[in-house]
Amino acid sequence: MDLSTLYLIFGDANQDRRAKAIKNILDGRRTVSNLYWGLEYGLLPYFGALHDFDLGDEQAAVDTLNKAGLATVSDGLLYRLSSRGVDQQKKLQASITPLNELATVAQYDIVRFSRRFIFAVQVVSEYSYSNNRYYPQTIGFFDDQLIKRWFIQNKQRNLSGYFHQLLQQFLSGLENDQLADIFAASLTGHGFSGLTEDQLAVQTDLEPTIIQLNWLKLYSRLFLRLKKDPETPLQLLLTGLIKPLMSGSAKQTFDLFVSARQPDPATIAQLRKIKLTTVYEHLIEAAIELPLDQFPYQRLLHEPTLTNLRQAAPVNVGEWQFKAAKAQITDLQFFEFRLFQISERKKGDND
Amino acid sequence: MIDLTAELHRYSGFDSFRPGQREVLENLFAGRDTLAILPTGGGKTLLYQLYGAITHQRVIIVSPLISLMQDQVSRLQYLGSKRVVAITSAMDFQERAAILRNLNHYQYIYVSPEMLSNRNIFEMIARQSIGLFVIDEAHCISEWGPDFRPDYLRLGKIRHQLENPLTLMMTATATQRTRDDILNRMGFTATDVKQLVLPTNRSNIFLSAKICANQPEKNEQLETLVKELNGAGIIYFSSKKQTEQIAAMLSQKTDKRVMAYHGGMDNQRRFLIQQQFMNGDIDIVCATSAFGMGIDKENVRYVIHYHLPDNIQSYVQEIGRCGRDQQPSLAILLYEPNDQYLQQNLIANTIPEEQLLRYFYQHPDQLQNNDAFRVIKYYYDIGKTVDQTLAIFDQAKSRRIGELNALIQYIYTTGCRRKLLLQHFDETAEHVDPEFCCDFHTDFWGNWRQFNQQYLKPSETDQGVQSTDWRQIIDKLFLLKN
Ligand SMILES: [Zn+2]
Repeated sequence: MDLSTLYLIFGDANQDRRAKAIKNILDGRRTVSNLYWGLEYGLLPYFGALHDFDLGDEQAAVDTLNKAGLATVSDGLLYRLSSRGVDQQKKLQASITPLNELATVAQYDIVRFSRRFIFAVQVVSEYSYSNNRYYPQTIGFFDDQLIKRWFIQNKQRNLSGYFHQLLQQFLSGLENDQLADIFAASLTGHGFSGLTEDQLAVQTDLEPTIIQLNWLKLYSRLFLRLKKDPETPLQLLLTGLIKPLMSGSAKQTFDLFVSARQPDPATIAQLRKIKLTTVYEHLIEAAIELPLDQFPYQRLLHEPTLTNLRQAAPVNVGEWQFKAAKAQITDLQFFEFRLFQISERKKGDND
Repeated sequence: MIDLTAELHRYSGFDSFRPGQREVLENLFAGRDTLAILPTGGGKTLLYQLYGAITHQRVIIVSPLISLMQDQVSRLQYLGSKRVVAITSAMDFQERAAILRNLNHYQYIYVSPEMLSNRNIFEMIARQSIGLFVIDEAHCISEWGPDFRPDYLRLGKIRHQLENPLTLMMTATATQRTRDDILNRMGFTATDVKQLVLPTNRSNIFLSAKICANQPEKNEQLETLVKELNGAGIIYFSSKKQTEQIAAMLSQKTDKRVMAYHGGMDNQRRFLIQQQFMNGDIDIVCATSAFGMGIDKENVRYVIHYHLPDNIQSYVQEIGRCGRDQQPSLAILLYEPNDQYLQQNLIANTIPEEQLLRYFYQHPDQLQNNDAFRVIKYYYDIGKTVDQTLAIFDQAKSRRIGELNALIQYIYTTGCRRKLLLQHFDETAEHVDPEFCCDFHTDFWGNWRQFNQQYLKPSETDQGVQSTDWRQIIDKLFLLKN
């Protein structure tokens, strides 16, 4: 995908945003820092949504925006959209509206679902023509097996009729023929080979990246629709696609932390044989990912630190630097500082 | 005695064998190890597929390239065999583990020589009963063996450790020297093995080459040709980046439908482009040499080389991808003097330099687990001194320079190109039609438009343009009963 297009979509005119962090957020690189910036920029719902795509170089992407007068760039690859950038952003967002449907891609492995679905369409399409001499797609060993098993279990069920009806309803329900055409071009089967995003881009006069984002959006919608239908013969294709909210290790730490005995971080480090700093990182990850009332801030943020933090905090807590805070509150720990920022940010969102 | 024609029909639907296929199968059924040089592609896969189908035995196929293997798996499935799997380094650990656990479910197992050198994988394979051991693209033993594919050199030993299963070695082209080398490295003597060599000559492919002054002139020439040449074509490049650049240029400047294809693209995309090309939805593919090995499109009308191929053997294989339907077809090699240096650089880049070699000999621990330096590690492990290894590399380098020079000679020749090519394989053309041979006998470059009209059949366009309307697409995809 074209990173400069993504930077436009996920950029802001009132906030300098870290180009590196945004790329890492979309790619789903799970570090405390990336998660934190995801929270700060309101992009956490898209965390890891574009993990399967090659996103390219951030410096080059930012330079492109800068040269085109769409953004201003400052040290450390911070960028801010210009008014022309905002116009462009609106145009792009309009072509993938509503953007927030992409959040589904962060919750479920929609790319994998789309590959399964497209492969299933090919198999059913060829079967409906009684053709068994064709080149099947390969979508990885496990999913190849899954499709094979699914097909053997279901091939008596008039699958071609089912797919035809499903797609007929789904695509007419979009009430947008261009979107429906874009979706249909992602399919492949008997006598129809589909189009790549750049071929479609030429036809539709949209950017290839926009085509790809629309595919993600439409497959998300299709996925959620099928998930609600207990009768669908595609059940098996929907399995094993949940993306965990937290890394497995962070979840273990957090579960321990809130377990009946309520062990403190040092005890957890001992129990789990991990470093204390890692325990704090896990807890910060949990705080970022969970709603405000599901994380016990009060067990980690004590008085008088909390009051000190409240008094010293600038208006824009999100951009507050630890170094500056530490200068005012001498015994402040980094995890306390970060947790405070997170809870303040979440309170702001709730208001 | 097995009725091979009946079996062929039963398993593949074909009524007759292509040249050489029957002889190879007869040899295998007589239990003879076989080296088969079969120039036209497509027919090779059928050999071991049919052998496996008739005998119900397991077939192990050693194949050099991951992308090629995936194509072959698809192709075998296309031909009706479903219990096929490929073990490649591109798989993640879990996938590989799952396949290895279930290895006995598979009848056709593709494996790269590197994977086969892996202890664990080798042992799992050795545990299976093996009916036929196939070495595909066997010329790699010779061509790549001493240069940078050390694992191919182990195949002789591996075959022995597998208790010498019946072996079929196959390639599309091989000189006498290469054939001797293959046998030698596999631990065979010439009398052990039945050799079947089909003529390299493809009389329906017209040969031509053009020397351009520089790259802009070459691009212009390419554009002019592509605009007018009839039918589907493949253009070969040695750089991935340029497949994309030139494809974009041609899409823009001509009304042909052109796409790029190379090994750096993901599976989905490569699949789609192959599919579109076979369905006639695109006219031209700009590709690296990875394209075309696994697909069987009968009516490719021309192959143009924008860059030099590795050597004459590769060239003959690559142009062999046009005219499989036996209809008149065209091979063009476009050259500008800088191409030679590009190729020299490629050769230099694939051969480790002396300094690097000496460094690794002093720090052999750094050779561990570094795939890029497998070849150095191989020679280090078998006890070659640094000077011996250096000599081997120098020899490899000069051999490849020699091969490059042979290609350049082919381009600049003032005689019959076909004669020169065939000489390379110790062949002579039985009957040359001077009207349709190469640009030595006729003024091809003065009359190529007329040649195009006279010989190159346009693609049948009854398939028409692919529909883009979603309603039509889903109606087309699913044939509804009643
Ligand atoms: Zn000639």
